[in-house]
Amino acid sequence: MEVFERIELRRFVGRELLLWLWFESEVFEGTLATKQHGSFGLWLEGRLVLSAGQEVTTIKGTIPGQHREAKEALLRGKMPDLASLHLAWADHDATLTLKAETLAIAGLKLPRKEPAAAPTGEGTTVPVRRAPRRRAAPAEAAAELAAHEANEELYERMRVTREIEEILEALYRDFLALRLGPAWSELVMPALEAWTLGDDVDADDYGTARTKALAAAGPKGATRK
Amino acid sequence: MPALRGSLTYSRFFIDTSEGPAAQKVPDDFREKYMRAIRLRAMKPLEAEDEDLERSGWCKVAEPFEIELHYDDVFCNEYVALGFRTDRWQIPGPMLKARVREAEAAYLEKKGKEKLGRKERAELKESVARKLRKQSAPSTRMVDLVWSMNDGIVRFFSHSDKAAGNMTELFHKTFGLRLVAEAPYTLASRLGLTKAQEGAWQEIEISVLAKEAS
Repeated sequence: MEVFERIELRRFVGRELLLWLWFESEVFEGTLATKQHGSFGLWLEGRLVLSAGQEVTTIKGTIPGQHREAKEALLRGKMPDLASLHLAWADHDATLTLKAETLAIAGLKLPRKEPAAAPTGEGTTVPVRRAPRRRAAPAEAAAELAAHEANEELYERMRVTREIEEILEALYRDFLALRLGPAWSELVMPALEAWTLGDDVDADDYGTARTKALAAAGPKGATRK
Repeated sequence: MPALRGSLTYSRFFIDTSEGPAAQKVPDDFREKYMRAIRLRAMKPLEAEDEDLERSGWCKVAEPFEIELHYDDVFCNEYVALGFRTDRWQIPGPMLKARVREAEAAYLEKKGKEKLGRKERAELKESVARKLRKQSAPSTRMVDLVWSMNDGIVRFFSHSDKAAGNMTELFHKTFGLRLVAEAPYTLASRLGLTKAQEGAWQEIEISVLAKEAS
């Protein structure tokens, strides 16, 4: 199989990734974990689009995955096209929309920047006050300051973006370990089918079996605590 | 699509390392080398007399009309930040048709002819289009791009396939590096598939959840 075919004929794997994220976020009540990042929050929030050919179902809401139409769409053969996700990690919150077939990101809202804090010496911190800008700063100095601030802003935004991407990549790595091994048909698919039909999936049993499967898949796999 | 403010909408591209990991290695003198290459491909705004109807080039990130680029505009630690600007003449088709019709009628009357030759028609059309271009301005679009040289990732702040195609072409001309668009396979491949997983990838089939397979 040519590289082109491995890319174009396997884009559906991205849809299955979204399905798996949706499933796991519900089974584990919005708390996922990877070996690299430990526990963090991840759940569907805002928009979920499912499709099969020309038929498209768009669901909007606080928790779109829990709408009745969402599971019904799955039962009619539709798969996620894109999903809006809420990610909460290390005191940060971000929201984004992940497109299944390109893994492109849309509307990524980065965590709000907290004002830098300075120690008070008494166990508390206070926000650092910025030095007031000079009113009549020479144009050149003002331009230099603006350029410096823009560079800092860009650096910080790209750093946080990369952090978010790394979490998504770690999840994808776990997904692939399951998807490309026997665990997919033996563990994940039966659980997915039960979940789609509205049956209970025992999170502890599934989590334990999943951890074992990931450990068996190799050192890169993640564990659930 | 801004990289510097607001929410981020982007596609990821990777430096193609299929010709060996050296392809991703940033040269020691990258600032000078890349700056020269970027300035060479900086945006040259479209003029009415130009033959091109569309042109792309680099500009300062978030600033489509700043095309004289300086080091500080482009380099920010391990990042290269650029704007990918495209100018395009957009003369409405019906307007062009109407003006060409008028010009043709005037030409025929002046020359005392009844019919135009193919060459004459083409020249008249070009002349009318140029006149209309002089009376208007080309549309300008800009998409930000941030290349993380340490990771070999290019974030292009648009989901447009056409813009991405033009950008990857200009990127290759500028830096001599090919970009590969992110997809489930390319990411899997970069994360590292074992031999067994690579084999499984080739055999993988769509999972079917639907019970009503009628």
